[in-house]
Amino acid sequence: MNREQEEKLTSASRRDFFKKTASVSAVAATGIMVPSTVLADDPNIIHHVKWGTTLGYECNKYPYGMPSPYEHNVVRRTSALMSSAGDMHAAISMTPIAELEGIIVPNGLHFTRTHNGVAQVDPTKWRLMIHGLVEKPIVLTLEQLKRYPNESRILFLECPSNSAAEWKGPQFGTAQFVKGMMSCAEWTGVRLKTILDELGLKPEAKWMLAEGSDGSEMSRTLPVEKVLDDVMIVYAQNGEALRNEQGYPVRLMAPGWEANLCVKWLKRLEFGDKPWYAKEETSKYTALTASGKAIQHFYALETNSIITSPAPERDWKDLEKGDLVEIEGLAWSGYGTIKGVDISFDGGKNWVEAQLKGLVLPKAWTRFSYMYKYEGKPLLLQSRSYDDSGNVQPTVNQEKAVVGVECVYHRNAMITWAVSDMGEVSNVQIRS
Amino acid sequence: MFKLDRKLIIIGMTLALSSTLAVAAAAECIPGVYKSKPGAIDGGVIYPRKDGVYTAYRYNTQSTKGVWFGRTPTANEIKAWDTDVLPDGTGLPEGEGSVEEGDELYEAQCAVCHGEFGGGGKGYPQLAGGNQDKDENGIVKTLKNQRLEPGMDAPKRTIGTYWPKATTLFSYIRDAMPYAHPKSLTNDQVYAITAYLLAQNDVEIDGQEMDDDFVLNKDKLVKVVLANANGFYPDIDGPKGPDNVKAFFADRAKNIGAGIRCMKDCKDPGMDGKTEAKVMKIKYEMKDVVPPYAYAKDLPPETEGGSVSKAEKQYDTSCKLCHGTDTMGAPKVGDATAWAAVMKKGMDKVLVNAIKGIGGMPPKGGNTDLSDADIKSIVEFMVGASK
Repeated sequence: MNREQEEKLTSASRRDFFKKTASVSAVAATGIMVPSTVLADDPNIIHHVKWGTTLGYECNKYPYGMPSPYEHNVVRRTSALMSSAGDMHAAISMTPIAELEGIIVPNGLHFTRTHNGVAQVDPTKWRLMIHGLVEKPIVLTLEQLKRYPNESRILFLECPSNSAAEWKGPQFGTAQFVKGMMSCAEWTGVRLKTILDELGLKPEAKWMLAEGSDGSEMSRTLPVEKVLDDVMIVYAQNGEALRNEQGYPVRLMAPGWEANLCVKWLKRLEFGDKPWYAKEETSKYTALTASGKAIQHFYALETNSIITSPAPERDWKDLEKGDLVEIEGLAWSGYGTIKGVDISFDGGKNWVEAQLKGLVLPKAWTRFSYMYKYEGKPLLLQSRSYDDSGNVQPTVNQEKAVVGVECVYHRNAMITWAVSDMGEVSNVQIRS
Repeated sequence: MFKLDRKLIIIGMTLALSSTLAVAAAAECIPGVYKSKPGAIDGGVIYPRKDGVYTAYRYNTQSTKGVWFGRTPTANEIKAWDTDVLPDGTGLPEGEGSVEEGDELYEAQCAVCHGEFGGGGKGYPQLAGGNQDKDENGIVKTLKNQRLEPGMDAPKRTIGTYWPKATTLFSYIRDAMPYAHPKSLTNDQVYAITAYLLAQNDVEIDGQEMDDDFVLNKDKLVKVVLANANGFYPDIDGPKGPDNVKAFFADRAKNIGAGIRCMKDCKDPGMDGKTEAKVMKIKYEMKDVVPPYAYAKDLPPETEGGSVSKAEKQYDTSCKLCHGTDTMGAPKVGDATAWAAVMKKGMDKVLVNAIKGIGGMPPKGGNTDLSDADIKSIVEFMVGASK
C-alpha cells in the first residue's frame, strides 16, 4: 500500500475510528504503544471478498488460458518512431521489461520486429531446404524436422537496435522503451550440426545464407564456424509452438547474436564459399562509426545491463526513509556468461558489487540484486555488467569515444536512472 | 645495456601480468559461470561439450549417426528456390530494363513510399541523394557526420552514399518489393527499376552515364562500383574473410569500445580526454506510444459494439497502408475535407477509380483478390468513417 492509498483509507474510515476509540483506549490502558497513525481496519480483511462468496468460472472456460484481466496494462507497446511513418507492418514492439519477473518472458510479451508484417505460415505447406556446399541436400517438412533429436536452451534475443533512440541523448521515459527490444525464453529445436553431420558439409563451405519465407524474404549470412558451434533450428518457445511474431513454425537461433540473424519463418539454408551481402547486412544492420566507415558482420550483442526496479514505471514514491529495499535488474551478454554486476549511486564515480541470483546461464538474461537502505536523497543509479569473455559494459563516453553516435546498432552504454528525493525515477545520461 | 634493461623490464612486466592473470583465473570460480575458452568468431568464448555436460545443461550423448528424415530436393525445386544473387553476379537472371522503363515503374509502384526520384520524405528509406564526395582516404565525407549537437547534419545512408553492392539492390527489389505485394515484378521490371535507382544515384557503368535510354542487364550490373564499396570493415571477402572477422572482434576494446571495472573515484572524460561528464536530461520525451502508458491493476474498459465488419478488416489489410496516413498522397480515412472532395466525383466514378486504379494507386489497391463488391463495401466503410 502506498502513502496515498493509506491516507485515503485512513480518512475514509475516520468515522469508524471514533467508533473504535473505546476498544483502542482499552488497549492503551494495558500499556501497549498505540501508533500515532492508527490504521482503520481493512475492509478486505474484515468483510468477505466477492470472489470468496460466489462460484468461480468453470475450470476450462478458457481452453487456452489468459492472464488475469487485471493485468491488461502489462502489454507490448510500440511507437511511430519505431516504424515507417506510423505504418506498423515494418515496426518494433517492446517488452515491458520492468513489469516482468525472473528470466523467462511469457510468449505473448516477447518483443517483435517485423520487416513486412507478421507472416502467418500454414505449417502443412512449410518446407525447409538445406543445400549448396553439402554432399546430400535435403528438404524437410515440419513433422520430419521434429523427428530429429532436440535440445532446449534458455537464451535471450535482442534486436541490435535496442536503445537506438538513445545515441544522441535520452529520449524515452520508461525502461520498456529504453531497453525493451529484447526478451528471453526457453527455445527448443534441432542443433543444426546434428543435421549437417548427415548432410556432409563440404570443406570449402565458409558461409551460410539463412532465408525467410515472409514477404521481406529476410536474408542473412552467417559464418560456418558459428553454425557448427551452437546454432539451432527452433520450433518451440517456452514449451509451445513459436508464436507467429517469433517466426512460426520455424526460425533460426544463433545464440547471443543479433535477433535479425535468427531468421524467422525460415525457408532455406544455403552453404557457400563467399558472403552474400544481403540487404539487411549492408544498407542496414551495419554500424557506421565516426571514421565514416561501418562495421559489418557485427554479430554478438554486447555485455549489457539495466536496473528494472526501480525504473520510471516502477518508482520509489511509496518508500519511507530507512526502508530496506531491493534494487533489481537484468544483465546479459551475447559473448558468454555474466560474471557480475556493479551498481553506482553517484553516476559512476563509485561502485559496489551487486549479487547475481537465480539461474546464471550463457547468453541468457541474468538477474542481479542489491539490498539498499533508502534515504530519500537524489541518486544517479547505474549498473555495469561484466562477462567471462573479458567484456565490461562501457559508460556513454567510453562507447562514444570509439564508435561515435551514428552507429544505430549495438548500443550497450550504461543506463542511468535519476532518482529524485521524492522517489521519482527518470531516464538521464551521464555524458559530455 | 639499455637493451638488457628493457628485456628485464619486459620479463618483470610479464611476471606481474601472469600473476594478475592468476588472480583473474581464481576469480573465474564464480558459481554458475562455466568453463570457457576464448576464440569464438564473434570475439566471445566457446564452451566445451564434454561428458554430456554443456555449461549448466546436460546433453544427449547417444549417437545420432544415421538419423535421416526428409528427402533429396528435385532439381526443379532447387532451381525454384535457389535464386539468390552474389556480388560476382552468380545467380543474376537473364533479362533487361531501361532507365526510362524503370522511371515509369518507380513512379507507379515505389514513389508512394520512397518519394519522387528516390528522395524519401515519406517516412520510408530514402534511396537516392546525398553527397558522394570522398576525402583523401577514399571515405565518403558526409558519412563522417556525427550529430553531437542538435541541428547538425546526419550522415546520409542512400544507395549512392552508403550501399556497398549493386547486386543487393536487384535481389532485394525482386524478393521483397513492392512492399505491399512483394515478388510481383518480372526480372525485366526489376532490372528497369534497378537501372532507374542507379541512375538517380549518378552511377556510371564503364565510365558511361546512365541516361534514359540506358539498358541494364546482368553483365552491366556486375560492373557497377558504388561509391561506398570500400566503406565497410572487417574485410569478409576471400578465403581469409572469417579469420579477419575473428581477429577484429578479438580486439574489441580497440574496435568497438569497452568499459573499465573501476570501483572508486572513477573518472569519465569525454572524447577529448578532458571534458567532465554531465547529467543530460530528456529534452522532449517521446510519450506517443501505442497502447498508451498505463499501469493500473484494474479491469479493462468495456469495448463498445464489439465485432469488426468484413469491410473494415479488408480495409485494414489492403488499403490502410496508404489511406491510414496523410503522408502517402492518398485521402486519409477520417479526413472529412479530403473525402468530401473525393465524393464530389460521385460514388460511381470513385468506385471505377478504386477498381481500375488512379494516380499512385494500383487497381484495387494492389489486392486483385478483392471482388468489385468487396471494393464497394470497403469504399462505403472509408466514406462512412470520414464524415
